[in-house]
Amino acid sequence: MEPAAPPELRHLPLSPAVLAILLALAEEEKHGYAIMKEAALPAGGGIALGPGTLYGSLDRLIRDALVEETGFTDDARRRYYRLTRLGHRVLAAETSRLSATLRTARTRTAAREARA
Amino acid sequence: MNSPNPFLFALYRQALRLYPARLRVRYQDQILQTLRDTHSETRHPLLFWPSLFLDLLQSSIKEHVLMTRDQAMRRPIFVHAVTLGLILTLMGGAAAVTMQQLLRRGADHPQIEMGRSYAHAIAAGARPQDLFPAERIDLRGSLEPFVIFYSESGVPIASTASLNSAVPVPPSGIFDHARKYQLDMVTWQPQPGVRMAAVLRHVSGPNPGFVLTGRSLFLVEEQEDLLRRGTFITWFAVMCLLALGALFLSRAESRRPHAA
Repeated sequence: MEPAAPPELRHLPLSPAVLAILLALAEEEKHGYAIMKEAALPAGGGIALGPGTLYGSLDRLIRDALVEETGFTDDARRRYYRLTRLGHRVLAAETSRLSATLRTARTRTAAREARA
Repeated sequence: MNSPNPFLFALYRQALRLYPARLRVRYQDQILQTLRDTHSETRHPLLFWPSLFLDLLQSSIKEHVLMTRDQAMRRPIFVHAVTLGLILTLMGGAAAVTMQQLLRRGADHPQIEMGRSYAHAIAAGARPQDLFPAERIDLRGSLEPFVIFYSESGVPIASTASLNSAVPVPPSGIFDHARKYQLDMVTWQPQPGVRMAAVLRHVSGPNPGFVLTGRSLFLVEEQEDLLRRGTFITWFAVMCLLALGALFLSRAESRRPHAA
């Protein structure tokens, strides 16, 4: 019998919006608007998240235990979110997957350019 | 601080009702706060509201689709009901198409037999004018079969039917097909409201030309219409029964006490 795949692999590949949210929360907890701003930056994925898309995605990430509310709030309307341990592992696994893809793409592009 | 337009803000707040209730209750305040924050820093005020409403529309549809999928996955009875519904729809559709084809094919009789008989006689040397009955029918109202003989160039020579006091002539493509394959069976509509099952047969011999036999499709199309309506009503009733059955079983399942 094959060993069961690690739980973080079940969530891959991530959609661009989910990757941007996880990336925004990778270093510190943030509220919704801060996540949106970070996701819109080129380094954060360059994703223009609307509030509807953001909170719908956050809701599913909470359900899948990748993100959790911190309980901290500076206003009842501004809640903070952070990655869970599983969330960090999923982000690391996705980063590793994307790195491998990028390496392959670079190698093949370089080989093609060398032939040309 | 730059406050959002009160009317558009109120409209957006109302439009949040498009989201599934659970999501709206949980995130409404946060969504509105994020809107205020975003608005205060937006650099494209003209694009702000359209992009916001577009996001709301897209994400609300997505949330409803995901919610429906999740609910269906939690209650396998709905998955079974939808599968059964699809199978019944496909089977019913296939049966209805087969029935419709059988009805239409049936409408080509007795023209096929009539045409063959007239073609044999004309090929043996008989003149169409002598073979065909003398009485003429009006194609606008008659359900009787009729026969028309056309020359090789498609000019009517003899006929038992007329339309607006003239003998109708089918499109030249039908003659070409019959000339090539000896026979062509088509639905012919010489004018709106007059549709016929027509069989065109090429004749060689001393009087070469084409024998066209036909009859009105009025009764057949009435039957087809009846079949379509009957099929739709039956399909709708079966789908309603299926949905009610699935709902009943699902509720019964959720009320049943779970074993420890």
